[in-house]
Amino acid sequence: MRRLLGLYAAGFYAFLHLPLVILAVFSFNASRFTVWEGLSLRWYQAAFQDAQLAEATLNSLIIAAVATLFSTLIGTLCAYGLWKRAAPVLAGSLYLTLVTPEIVTGVALLAWFQLVFRQVGFQLGLHTVILAHVSFSVAYVVVVVLARLRTMDATLEEAAMDLGATEWGAFGRVTLPALAPGIAAAALLAFTLSFDDYVITSLVAGVDSETLPMVIYALARRGANPAINAVSTMIVVGLGTLVLAAERLRAR
Amino acid sequence: MNRRGFLLGAAALAGCARDRRRRLNVFNWSSYVAPETIPRFEAEYGVRVRYSIYESNEELLARIISGNSGWDVVFPTNYYIRPLREFGLLAPLRHRWLPHLAQLEPRFQAPEWDRQLQWCVPYMWGATGIAYRRTLSPPPAAWADLWSERLRGRLTMLDDPAEVLGACLKKLGCSLNSTDPGELRRAQREAVAQKRLLRAYLNAEVRDQLVAGDVLAAQLWATTAQQAIDASSELAFAYPAEGFPLYADNAVILRESRRPELAHRFIDYLLRPEVAADVVKATKTATANAGARALLPESLRANATLFPPPEVLARGEWFQPLPASAQRLRDRLWTEIKAA
Amino acid sequence: MRRAGTAPRAVARLRRLVLLPAWTVVALLFLVPLLVIGSYSLLTRGAYWGLSLPWTLENYTRLFDPLYAVILLRSVVMAAVATALCLVLAFPAALFISRAGRRKNFYLHLVIIPFWTSFLVRTYAWMFLLRDTGLFNTLLQALGLIGEPLPLLYNDGAVLLGLVYGYLPFMVLPIYATLERLDCELLEAAADLGARPWAAVTRVIIPLSAPGIRAGAVLVFIPALGAYLTPELLGGGRSIMIGNLIQNQFTTARDWPFGSALSLVLTAAAMALLFVFLRRRGEELL
Repeated sequence: MRRLLGLYAAGFYAFLHLPLVILAVFSFNASRFTVWEGLSLRWYQAAFQDAQLAEATLNSLIIAAVATLFSTLIGTLCAYGLWKRAAPVLAGSLYLTLVTPEIVTGVALLAWFQLVFRQVGFQLGLHTVILAHVSFSVAYVVVVVLARLRTMDATLEEAAMDLGATEWGAFGRVTLPALAPGIAAAALLAFTLSFDDYVITSLVAGVDSETLPMVIYALARRGANPAINAVSTMIVVGLGTLVLAAERLRAR
Repeated sequence: MNRRGFLLGAAALAGCARDRRRRLNVFNWSSYVAPETIPRFEAEYGVRVRYSIYESNEELLARIISGNSGWDVVFPTNYYIRPLREFGLLAPLRHRWLPHLAQLEPRFQAPEWDRQLQWCVPYMWGATGIAYRRTLSPPPAAWADLWSERLRGRLTMLDDPAEVLGACLKKLGCSLNSTDPGELRRAQREAVAQKRLLRAYLNAEVRDQLVAGDVLAAQLWATTAQQAIDASSELAFAYPAEGFPLYADNAVILRESRRPELAHRFIDYLLRPEVAADVVKATKTATANAGARALLPESLRANATLFPPPEVLARGEWFQPLPASAQRLRDRLWTEIKAA
Repeated sequence: MRRAGTAPRAVARLRRLVLLPAWTVVALLFLVPLLVIGSYSLLTRGAYWGLSLPWTLENYTRLFDPLYAVILLRSVVMAAVATALCLVLAFPAALFISRAGRRKNFYLHLVIIPFWTSFLVRTYAWMFLLRDTGLFNTLLQALGLIGEPLPLLYNDGAVLLGLVYGYLPFMVLPIYATLERLDCELLEAAADLGARPWAAVTRVIIPLSAPGIRAGAVLVFIPALGAYLTPELLGGGRSIMIGNLIQNQFTTARDWPFGSALSLVLTAAAMALLFVFLRRRGEELL
C-alpha cells in the first residue's frame, strides 16, 4: 500500500511539474519551434531587451508590494477582531468576495471607478489596480490568519492582561509573535494573488499601469513565442525561491 | 494614493531622473509601427510618447468610454467612428495642422464614414479572406470552399461574430451588414453546419499553425496572412469570389486630450510618405497613404495580398455600424453558434 | 484584577476599531461596486454600447431562455467533472503527504510551488504541450506510435485538463489539512480488528476526511464554474461556458445590463452553494 502510494505520488508530482520543466527547457532552445536546435540564451536576451516587459514587471512588483502591505495589515486586524467575537455580516461579505467570480469583481470595480471618476476627475492607473487587489486579497489573508489564531490559546492574552498589560500590549507581546508565521504565510499568499492576477487587473488598469500577466497574455494571444518561456521560467524560479525561503523561515 | 505619486516612486526606484519632456499618449493596434517610428518622433519634437497596444476595438472602447482615460490618439476601426462621434468622444480635426493629408489615397480622402475627414484620418486598411496551404488543389477561391469536407479538422475561422456571420452572409449572397432577421438566421445555420469541420475559432494565433502545417485553411486578415506567407512559401491568400469585408483603422484624437496640437503633429508625422513607408516595410500592413506606397520596394508595392487590383477590391464591402436591434440579434446568434 | 483601560466598553471599542479597515475595504471596494452592477442589470442596453433607460427586469427574464440554461448546464457539468477529477487525483496525494513524516513540509511545498506561479503561464504551458506541433505529438510521432498528430488541443478534454491542473492544489491542501489531524491510532485499531488496508481507507479515512473533501470541492467547483480564460485559450472558442458568456457581454456584445444580470445570478448561485456545503459548526472558514 505504501509503495503504491509512493508510486502514485511520483506520477502526481511529475504531472504537476512537467509542463513547467518543459517550458524551462525549451526556453533555452535556439529554435523557435519544438525541434531542439541547441542551447541558446537568445530568448532571455530578447526578454531582457524588451522595455515593455521590464516596465510591466516593475509595475507588477510595485502593485503587489503595496497591495500586500495593505491587505495583510487590514486582514490581520480583521482576523483578530473576528477571533475575539463573531461578526456574521462582515464574515458573510468576506465569503462573498471569495466566491464571486473574478470577472464579476473586475467589471463591478470598473463600473464603480468610472462612475466615481466621472465626478472626481481621476483616471485609472496603478492606484486603481492596487485598490482592486486589496479588495480581493483581504479575505484570503483573514482566512489564513484566522486559521492560525484558532490554533492558539485565547486565554494567554487574558493572562497577560491579568498581569497588568493593556489590550494592545497583550496583542503585541503575546499574540503577535506567535502569529507572525501565519501573517507571513498570508502575506505570501496575498503577494502571489496580486502578482499573478490577470482578469481583474486587465479591466481596471490605466495608461501607465500595464502588468506582467497582461503582457504575457498579449504575447500568448499572438501565438507561440519562446520569449514567454524565458519570462515564465524566470518567474517560476524567482517566486519559487521566495516561497522556499519564506517556508524555511516559517518552519523555524 | 495618486498616480503621480506612484510614477515618482517608480522612477526613484529605477534610479532615473524624472522625465520633464511633454507627453503624448498613443494607444494603437499591435504591429502598426516600425521600431524607429516612435523614437524618431520623440527626437524630432523633444517629447516622450507613451505607446501602448490593444488587440480589439472592444478593449479600446472599454478604456476610452469613460471620457477620462488619459489617451490622446487612438485608432478605432471605421465602423466605430460614427458611434464615437455621436457619443462626443472625438475632437474635431484641424486640417491646417495636417499638411500631409493630401498624401492619402483618393478613395480615403472622402471615405464613406467621414466624408470630409473632420474626425479621423485613415491609417491602415485591410480585408478578410482565406489563407491556405498551396497543397490544397484546387485552391479555395470562395467562402463556400470553407465548407468543404476535405478541410475537416484543419480549418479555422476568426473568433469574431461580425467576421463569421459576415462570411456566411456573403456565402448566401447577402450584404455583410445585413439587418434582416431571416438572412441572419440562415447565416447562423450555415455557421453551425460548418462547426463540425472546424478546428477552432482563432484570431492571430492561427498564423503559427498555418506555418507549421497544422491548419490547411483559415479565415484570416490579409495583413496577418502576409506575415504567415513571409514565414512559409507554401502559403497563399485568396480574396473570396462572393465578396469580403473591408475595414480601415483611423487615427482619431480624443476630446479629452489636453495636447491636441501635439496629437495633430503626431498624426501628420504618420502621414509623411517616408514614415508611412517605413511602417509598411516593417509590419507588412496595407497603408492608406498613396505617397508612401510609391516609396515601397516593388515586392511590397505590387503585393497582391496587401494591395489587390481594383477589380478584386470592387468586391469588397465596408463594415458599418449597426442599429441596436440588429446588434442584439447578432449577439444572440453568435451565442447560439458557440453553444452548438 | 483588570486595570482601567481594559474595561469592557474600551474592549468593545477596540474590537470595532480593529474591524473598521476591513469593513471600509469590503463596503467601498466590493459591496458598493456590486450594487452598481445590480443597478446596471436593471437598465437597458444603449444604442451602440453602455446603458440607457428604461428600467426593466428583462435582463433577468431573458435568463429563462433555454439557450442560456444549456450554457449554464454545460458549465455546471464541466465544473463538476473537473471537481470530481481533482478529488480522485488529489486524495491519494494528500494521503501520501500526510504520511510522509519529517518530509511532510517538503512534499507540501512541491505541491504549492506550481500554484505560486502565473495561472497564464501554466495554461500556456499546456498549449505548448498539446499543439499538433507540440511536445506530446512530436514525441509520439518520433516513437512511431502515431502517423498523424492527435487533436489534443481545442476540445473539452483540453479544457478539463486545464481546469484540473489549475485547481488541484485547492483540493490537495484542505484534504491534507484534515488528514493530518487524523488519529493514526484509529487506523491501527481498524487493522487490529482485521480490516485490510483498502477497507481501512474506504471505511475509516474517507468518511473522516469528509470536511476536507467538502471544502476542497467548494474551492474548486466555484472558480471552475466562473472560469473563462481556460476555456478560451485551451478550448479554441468552440464551446461557451458561463464565464465566457459573461465576458462576451462586457466586450464583444457590449450588453452591460445583461452581463451584469448574469454576473449577479452566478454569484448568488455560488453563495448558495457555499452555504449549503459549509454550514456546519466548526467548519466555517471565517
